[in-house]
Amino acid sequence: MTRRAFLLALALIAAAPAAAAPDLSADALLRDHLWREVRLAPPERRPKVGLVLSAGSLRGTAHVGVISVLEGAGFPIDVVAGTSMGAVVGSMYSGGLTVPELWKTALAVKVDSGNNLSGRRLISLVLFDNLLSSEKTELSIRKTLGGRRFDQLKKPFACVSMDVYTGEAIIFRDGDVATAVRASMNLPGIFQPLEYRHRYLVDGGVVDYIPVDAARLLGAEWTIASITENDYTAARPKSVLDSLEQVIDIRGSFLSRAQRKQANFLIEPQVGDIGMFEAARIPEAMEKGVIAAAKKLTAAEQSLILASIPKLAPGWAAPETGR
Amino acid sequence: MRPWAPLALALALAAPARAWRPFGEPSDGKVRPIQELNDAGKAREVLAALTPEFIQTLRGTDLRQAYILMGDNHDRLGRPDAAVSDYQLGVSLFPKNVDLLSRLGMILHREGLDEQAKPLFLRVLALEPHHGTAHQGLAEIDRKLGFLERSAEHYEATLEILDTHADLWRDYAEVLLALREVKTADLALRKSLELEPKSPDAHVLLAFARRAQGDLGGAIDDLDAAYALGAGVGARRAKALFLLEAGKMDEALAEANAVLAEVPGDGAALWVRARTRLARGDEDGAVRDLEQVKATEGGRNAFAAQAARALAVAARQIRSGREDEFYRK
Repeated sequence: MTRRAFLLALALIAAAPAAAAPDLSADALLRDHLWREVRLAPPERRPKVGLVLSAGSLRGTAHVGVISVLEGAGFPIDVVAGTSMGAVVGSMYSGGLTVPELWKTALAVKVDSGNNLSGRRLISLVLFDNLLSSEKTELSIRKTLGGRRFDQLKKPFACVSMDVYTGEAIIFRDGDVATAVRASMNLPGIFQPLEYRHRYLVDGGVVDYIPVDAARLLGAEWTIASITENDYTAARPKSVLDSLEQVIDIRGSFLSRAQRKQANFLIEPQVGDIGMFEAARIPEAMEKGVIAAAKKLTAAEQSLILASIPKLAPGWAAPETGR
Repeated sequence: MRPWAPLALALALAAPARAWRPFGEPSDGKVRPIQELNDAGKAREVLAALTPEFIQTLRGTDLRQAYILMGDNHDRLGRPDAAVSDYQLGVSLFPKNVDLLSRLGMILHREGLDEQAKPLFLRVLALEPHHGTAHQGLAEIDRKLGFLERSAEHYEATLEILDTHADLWRDYAEVLLALREVKTADLALRKSLELEPKSPDAHVLLAFARRAQGDLGGAIDDLDAAYALGAGVGARRAKALFLLEAGKMDEALAEANAVLAEVPGDGAALWVRARTRLARGDEDGAVRDLEQVKATEGGRNAFAAQAARALAVAARQIRSGREDEFYRK
């Protein structure tokens, strides 16, 4: 660096926004103090925390960004539930993949990563109703998680699928993880329904877009949901697949309206304009997950602190007056 | 005359303007007197001298410097919009000039327009990979958006170039604390204190770094140092909470009372006092303190009031549980 450039840089540094002083307000310090209490408390002295990952096809890769912020902040996550892409991300996270590993795995996703899509198959799908197979999803999850079962994951995990014979939401929390995840993201109208445990299974997003119920089934007392809905009002479907996507997204949004009220806290990455098959925008989706989670992190911490106080308080009382 | 000289002269005269670039941009030195006014801090005189008619006579380095001077001095006079226009005009004429690009980026960042500032800083780094201001701008933007690791990397790059700025070391340490890289944060803060030993902010941050490493005693010493250097009541408030965490109830109560003497109704201090009363079995006293926090709800105590409400409910339950136990016996 030349002397002139160095002097200019110094002048610019002086003109830069002043370094913010640490926030020593009553609210900020009390929040910091109580967040420490929550993080250091043994699990029985705070609510069991459930991370809920919504459906949302490739938009759901934004969940990786959300997880990276929560992990970075030391947010306690006890159980995980996911639907469709939320199930894929959630299974890998519950299986012990680190944030950089999740990030790398998501970046490697292509439109045909979880299926046998090809030009010939697509023509066959449109002209002759020959649905695609989602077997590659199962193989990929099996490879990543080493063929583990639900009870072998590092965090309790559940995922949701739908039985097309009965319309029931089927919550998987035992057995083979890879098969259950495949069933959970088996998009109807594109993939062949999966026959498993005497059920004929398609994507759980049709009935359980934000699977708060699955997290509760795992014992979650406080849930934080990452929601990657589509903004279908901006879409103008021009093909059979576009129309199908639009219908699924509208259905998902209606479901989501009711389900979002069940979660204690919502994080909503702004990925509504990312299409179901836009694999090139996965990095953008993940970054939007980071931005959305970082923006709401303080509020999420506050919400969990307030929910934890009733369980923390007896430990703060005089020993003879405690529980 | 050397035999090749006429040929060189002819070539030079025939060359297009851009052929001068390898030898530096042309400058007639017309801006030099205005630069002196700028260096003397005479912003209004600088802007008065840089009339459109005068600017039309400038070229090369002079013209570029004129836009920088206009932008800098408009900004100095508290007119950031005018400064942005000056820099934008300069960038449109000199799109590869890192000084103009980084100035424009920094002012947009300062005005909260990070989406427009970020590509400018990235352009600067593409042209000059070791540009401290561009790295600093990106570090601040990434930090604000939640990309903490990227932010830390940009701070590291900035500090390689500008390692004598105590505030930059502090900003870097804050990012490291958020990343829970407390040992490195500790080192960065010590470096900041070497450069600026009387910084209360650095002592406060060091207190948080030491507490994160489990050294509550050391953290409290740092808060005392910060208070002595003028950190204000905030340092005492933090000390009251740290003492509570250390289980030193009497000292925590004394510190909380000292804060309340300065700031009556302080949410954090009342919380500490309520907690010490709860620990002594005085649930009624704790509830009275918590009711006071609730009464000051809004503004500075918004979260404290919510937390107080939750603890007041729990304290009443603890008391009724104790009474039930008493009557059962």
